[in-house]
Amino acid sequence: MAHSAALSSEQYNYDIVKKFAITSIFWGILGMIAGVYIASELAWPFLNFDVAQITFGRLRPLHTSGVIFGFGGNALFATSYYVVQRTCQTRLAGGTFWPNFTFWGWNLSVLIAGLLYLQGYTQGREYAEPVWFIDLSITVVWVVYFLIFTVTLIKRNQPHIYVANWFYMSFILATALLHIFNNLAVPVSLTSATSYSLFSGAQDAMTQWWYGHNAVGFFLTAAFLGMMYYFVPKQAGRPVYSYRLSIIHFWALSFMYMWVGTHHLHWTAIPDWTSTLAATFSILLLMPSWGGMINGIMTLSGAWDKLRTDPIMMFMITALSFYGMSTFEGPMMSLKSVNALSHYTDWTVGHVHSGALGWVAMISIASFYHMIPRLWNTTLYSLQLVYTHFFLATIGTILYITALWVSGIGQGLMLRAFDEYGNLAYTFVETVAFMHGPLVARAVGGLFFLSGMLIMAYNIYMTITRAKQEENVSATAAAQA
Amino acid sequence: MANPVKDPLTGAETTGHVWDETLQEFNNPLPRWWLWTFYGTIIFAIVYWIMYPAWPMFGSYTKGIGNNITYKTDAGEEKSTHWNMRALLAHDMQNGEEAIKQQEYLAKVGAASYEQIAQDPDMSSFVRSYGVGMFGDNCAACHQSGGQGVVGQYPNLVDDDWLWGGDTASIETTIRGGRLGYMPAYKSTLNEDQLNQVANYVLSLSGEVADAAAAAEGQKIFQGEAGGCYMCHTKEGTGMHAQGSANLTDKIWTIANLPAAEAPEAKLAAVKAVINNGVQRKMPVFGAEGRNLSDTEIKVLAAYLQQMSGGAQAAQ
Repeated sequence: MAHSAALSSEQYNYDIVKKFAITSIFWGILGMIAGVYIASELAWPFLNFDVAQITFGRLRPLHTSGVIFGFGGNALFATSYYVVQRTCQTRLAGGTFWPNFTFWGWNLSVLIAGLLYLQGYTQGREYAEPVWFIDLSITVVWVVYFLIFTVTLIKRNQPHIYVANWFYMSFILATALLHIFNNLAVPVSLTSATSYSLFSGAQDAMTQWWYGHNAVGFFLTAAFLGMMYYFVPKQAGRPVYSYRLSIIHFWALSFMYMWVGTHHLHWTAIPDWTSTLAATFSILLLMPSWGGMINGIMTLSGAWDKLRTDPIMMFMITALSFYGMSTFEGPMMSLKSVNALSHYTDWTVGHVHSGALGWVAMISIASFYHMIPRLWNTTLYSLQLVYTHFFLATIGTILYITALWVSGIGQGLMLRAFDEYGNLAYTFVETVAFMHGPLVARAVGGLFFLSGMLIMAYNIYMTITRAKQEENVSATAAAQA
Repeated sequence: MANPVKDPLTGAETTGHVWDETLQEFNNPLPRWWLWTFYGTIIFAIVYWIMYPAWPMFGSYTKGIGNNITYKTDAGEEKSTHWNMRALLAHDMQNGEEAIKQQEYLAKVGAASYEQIAQDPDMSSFVRSYGVGMFGDNCAACHQSGGQGVVGQYPNLVDDDWLWGGDTASIETTIRGGRLGYMPAYKSTLNEDQLNQVANYVLSLSGEVADAAAAAEGQKIFQGEAGGCYMCHTKEGTGMHAQGSANLTDKIWTIANLPAAEAPEAKLAAVKAVINNGVQRKMPVFGAEGRNLSDTEIKVLAAYLQQMSGGAQAAQ
């Protein structure tokens, strides 16, 4: 393996993968620090210290953009560039310039957007907060990304396109579509950060949630399934369970996700039929989502013993389990009667995080633990630390989502409780007081997850440092010989 | 290139594709349970589409069958329509068990006098239950969730002292029309000595520590034309509900923050500050021209506030 790894570091463009991978970890920690802080603000409001820049409203988009586009986005760039090269057996297209262009373009966009949030500049669209000129720069970066990926696929030295690349491709295409249409807006002037959406009223809301949910569907699901389809069979050393299942669930997933965004707007001023379609397509989406989970978990058949010995595999299987759980929970919450209870409560936030922490972050973490030693042609500094990270991440995630089930379902039940006179039993503020305990537990859960990330950063840092020392030693030895 | 290989471990065949040296795929059939559950969700969706508004069609949409909702329009006509959110809300508000119960109570309370409400345990309990929510949503933001108010800003509603009158009729008037509390600022009318004297007199009225000589001078200002305080607070200092002027002879302080002052000097300073700067307070209108609470809601709130502040005694 060492032999071929040394070769592949020359054959492939690993430099760009390294840059994206390291930056991803950096953003992950930054975004999660912001997350833990705003979670603490909800539990202890004095923490905003009356400083506008660190109030919940401004830090929250910094947290979501930091983890979704910073951590997740960079992880997707890194792994897609790695996977497409290795499964196509060809060097990344675009030379060194264009991949680097996507690196700097993407990260500067996220950074500037984040700094602008703190100053109060936002479009006020969830997960699409960056102001119009950032949207334009993201669009340019994305087109370049699309071209690099496509041209690499075209010049592949393999007859077939590996399944992971289908998912990456659908993610790139769908994200372009979503980003462009949801951000259609007219700036007030060329020197103003303010813009107005091209859509209005219910149509604007539906466009936003068509975007919002498909950001979850294609950015946070399809793309990370691509990651899963490469790294799980690689780490397990086993073939993918079913090619047929991967085709069926890929197309079902891609087709059905596009319909469901309106379930974020149940019981609001939208046509009833849009609500029905959103709810039913969410239910139809359940099995296609689970297709990915089955394919991932069943890939391990014949290598179950790895669950005892390989902490990276533990991360992967736990990620797939959380993926299965949150893609079951999601369709249930999309049913109007369940949504009437869950909507506007912390249950939604908990649901998102069982996907975000349990699935997206854990599969990325596992992929990094697999990929980074190979990029630097070495082995991990400490497997023991990976175990520690695994338990911190798992406990953190479970604590987080359990706390928000209590908070969200509890508040939902309180808000609909009647007393014996037919009056509402609780005022709003009583439900807020009830949420204090669970919100504290949630912040602690987040802290667990964040501390795991710090351990990972240390482990990766030591791995790379050691790899560089080894390289120096062998270079010196070679020179002396 | 595609040469299927038998996996030694399971005996299953791969598709024969190989990527990146080791990546292969089995071609296992779709798990049965997966496929049947998927079919199940499709049947669920189709049934749902048949029953509820679902597919856009020719400028309209399929309305769903077997799911009509009957409700009364605002004009009182009975109307039957295909399932939709607005009709469902109207139907629930007209037929829901809880809604009916609440409406019956509201009708009963709306028709009853305050006395009848106070004497009927069932209506009293309803007022307490409905009032908590009304108070929490409309009043607590200023008067605080326990009704204790904020000294200097928002009156305390749970003591026995009422600036504008504690009988139900006065409370109702206060809620419906709001109130403007006003006392002129004396900083340009009275000099420092006079301010001191009046403040000492005001403290002496409720038995606080005061300089007797200064208080005697202060009484002249209070009751004479120099200060004119008596015009609102009366010569005895007991205040007038018609003016919203405070009773200065009890130990209840609503504006000067005496509860927070320990030393006599601090108390004097607190009273002086109020005389110096005057008072301007506003309670918003909750009747038709303002927050638009219904007559019954205002009645429930007034009855609830009277309960909160000690019931029968305040009714006098």
